[in-house]
Amino acid sequence: MRRTGPILIAVIGLLALIIDFWPNLTLPAFSAGETSRRIETKLGLDLQGGLKVEYRVLPQLDRTPTLADVQVVKDIIERRVNATGVSEPVVVTSGTDRVVVEVPGISDTAAIRRLVGQTGSLQFVPIPPNTTPPVDGTPLDMTNAPACPTSGNPTVPCVLFGGEELGSANVGSDPQGRRTVNFALKETGKNLFASWTQSHTTQNFAIVLDNVVISAPVINEAIPGGNVQISSGGLGGFPRAEAEEMVNVLRFGSLPFPVEELASDTIDPSLGQEFLNRSLLAGGIAIMLVILFMLIHYRLPGVVASFALLYYAVLVLALFRIIPVTLTLAGIAGFVLSVGMAVDANILIFERTKEELRSGKSLPQAIEAGFARAWNSILDSNVSSLITATILYLFGSSVIQGFALVLIIGVLASMFTAIVVTRSILRIIVAKEWARKAWLYGVTDAEFTARPTTRSGLRREVRRV
Amino acid sequence: MFDIVGRKKWFFLFSAIITIPGLIFILLTPITNGQAGLKFSIDYTGGTEWSIRFADTAVTSDQVREALDELGQEDVTVTHTGRGFFDIRLSGLDLREIPTPAPSSSSGPSSSGSPSPSGSPSPAATPASTAEPAPSGSPGPSGSPIPGRANTVPTTGELGEIAAGLQERFGPIAEQAKLSSIGAVVSADLVQQAILLIFIGSLGILAWITLRFRDAKMGATALVALLHDVIVVLGVFAILGTFLNVKIDGLFVTAMLTVIGFSVHDTIVVFDRIRENRARHVGEPFSEIVNHSILQTFGRSITTSFTVVLTLTTLLLFGGAATQEFVLALLLGIISGTYSSIFNAAPLLVVWQEWEDRRKGRISTPGTTRRATA
Repeated sequence: MRRTGPILIAVIGLLALIIDFWPNLTLPAFSAGETSRRIETKLGLDLQGGLKVEYRVLPQLDRTPTLADVQVVKDIIERRVNATGVSEPVVVTSGTDRVVVEVPGISDTAAIRRLVGQTGSLQFVPIPPNTTPPVDGTPLDMTNAPACPTSGNPTVPCVLFGGEELGSANVGSDPQGRRTVNFALKETGKNLFASWTQSHTTQNFAIVLDNVVISAPVINEAIPGGNVQISSGGLGGFPRAEAEEMVNVLRFGSLPFPVEELASDTIDPSLGQEFLNRSLLAGGIAIMLVILFMLIHYRLPGVVASFALLYYAVLVLALFRIIPVTLTLAGIAGFVLSVGMAVDANILIFERTKEELRSGKSLPQAIEAGFARAWNSILDSNVSSLITATILYLFGSSVIQGFALVLIIGVLASMFTAIVVTRSILRIIVAKEWARKAWLYGVTDAEFTARPTTRSGLRREVRRV
Repeated sequence: MFDIVGRKKWFFLFSAIITIPGLIFILLTPITNGQAGLKFSIDYTGGTEWSIRFADTAVTSDQVREALDELGQEDVTVTHTGRGFFDIRLSGLDLREIPTPAPSSSSGPSSSGSPSPSGSPSPAATPASTAEPAPSGSPGPSGSPIPGRANTVPTTGELGEIAAGLQERFGPIAEQAKLSSIGAVVSADLVQQAILLIFIGSLGILAWITLRFRDAKMGATALVALLHDVIVVLGVFAILGTFLNVKIDGLFVTAMLTVIGFSVHDTIVVFDRIRENRARHVGEPFSEIVNHSILQTFGRSITTSFTVVLTLTTLLLFGGAATQEFVLALLLGIISGTYSSIFNAAPLLVVWQEWEDRRKGRISTPGTTRRATA
């Protein structure tokens, strides 16, 4: 430990510095499903400005949405938000029935809210035979589309029936083992589809969600039973992701439950920038004041503690960037608070070291005893903070969780810097001749001289107080 | 040697003096139905918070308040902040019913999230198993952002009417910095959740101290000191709410739990020293051991809290208005926590121990069973 300690500290510190300051670092993908991620400090909506809307998924017809239902609603909303082309939207579930949408930066907030909140309409649209079938993902305006004629060919895309006639949908396979998308229609839809496919074979029909074509297959033959299979011509049929995506659209293109807007928040980016600047200024001043205090009050150990505090700041920032933790206003307040708490372990240790020096221990002995004896209090205190922070993290709203996460990281990191980093450096320093001066530790020369036995020293201490 | 334990009654009296007025004001909240006592922000009550700046810089907050009153908005607060912005709180209005403008006849978003790999043959629908693909290329999805109309001042709905009314009186609104709206549904959750979180947090600390010190008395007295801090902070905010209309927001519960977690630090340092001294000086009266322990750790209790007070004060002075109430709650709680650790928790331990000793002395005759908890 004595050998490896300083090396470990240097390596971790160097890594943290690289993560903090090297521009455009990317984190490689760990598993196949992940993409590589650029390392950056993520700022919450309150610091970068933007729109945040919280929705509640409402029960429908005596059916209370389950967590899985809320997840489905979230997926649909996420798809809708992505479709608007805004940059880096975040859609998450929260609690048992909440979906939170965050769109950073400047955007047309009204349009996004209108788009997300709508229930969504899924339509089955026969394509007129003389037009080219639409390509997947292209817009097809169905706003004023007519209902389909009972006989003959339509001249414009028309609505045969809507998503309410869809019974079930799942991923299947044809006899050749190629992946397909299967769905079943309810009674009315089944009859409509049966008669339509009877007379319109080789024509195309489109499945349209909110004016966007999801798929436009060819009708190969009459489909009387209401059980429809859509196959793709690729070697294995549909790619899995595409098939699942389509099944989801078929199942949930319309939100399975209505949503209600609970709260919305629009913050101008310039206001966020101002909040950020002020918080950073306050954080900088706080670190400097704490360092100043530690230098004046503890002298040489104070220098070491100050270094440990800077090391702490660099390490915590690196952790924020790599995890990543989204920094909010409250989160930065949590960080500034943690700066004050990070030196507490050092204070307990140095006070104990002074006591041990006065009781007659030599300097290295006193420092070791200081660390050993203060450990219980430090551990118990930090665990107390971790208990309350964990409760906040587990049960709080997203803003509260941000603060709690900052606090948890801060407490853990400070235990490393205030104990491991400080101890390793102090061990190296006290071995040097120049460091063995009483005033460097804030004790008198008489107290600083090593006494022969600890026992008599302890008695003296007790008598004095 | 200064006798803290001997003067414990004075310190308890001081605690009573700082907690009882606060308690009264806290209790005023339900009694007066929110007219006095704790004031809750829109996080709890629902409503709208709107920050705007008029092009005309001569407009005053009184004028804005008057205008809003004329526009039929009751229970409005208007504060003039830096850079010419007005923070307007409309407790009677929440934006959820913002009307959906009639869908335009133009096409909607130009792409959906559905993947469509380019070059894949277009699919065919069959009832049976045969598939006859008709090849055609399909481009991948491409997003087109909604044109960047900046966070626009609302023109529709109730707030739109208010905005129009204000602009009629004071000229155009030059800038809108913030628009938050919260439905009242969230609020009921929040109050319940806050109480529950503080309760669970306190129980967690009680369990941890009891476990680590193997002494239920230490756990319980630490808990009393915690409740003291919670009441002090809540009480100060109840008083500030009554007289200065200072509101507690959704972050307040975070401050309370952080206080609970941190204020026990000093208690732990003192208790740790009591445990150490108790083992070392067997036979000395318990009150003297506790007094020694408090005095030995007094300096570091103050110092550890001082560094936190230092950083929080910096935040309060330089961190801006947005987190001011939050930081103030933390600051009060941490100062109170240091006081209650030194002057309440440890002396209470003595009171309890001495009461137990007296009781034991009365009921137990020499040679009979001894307490197992000693």
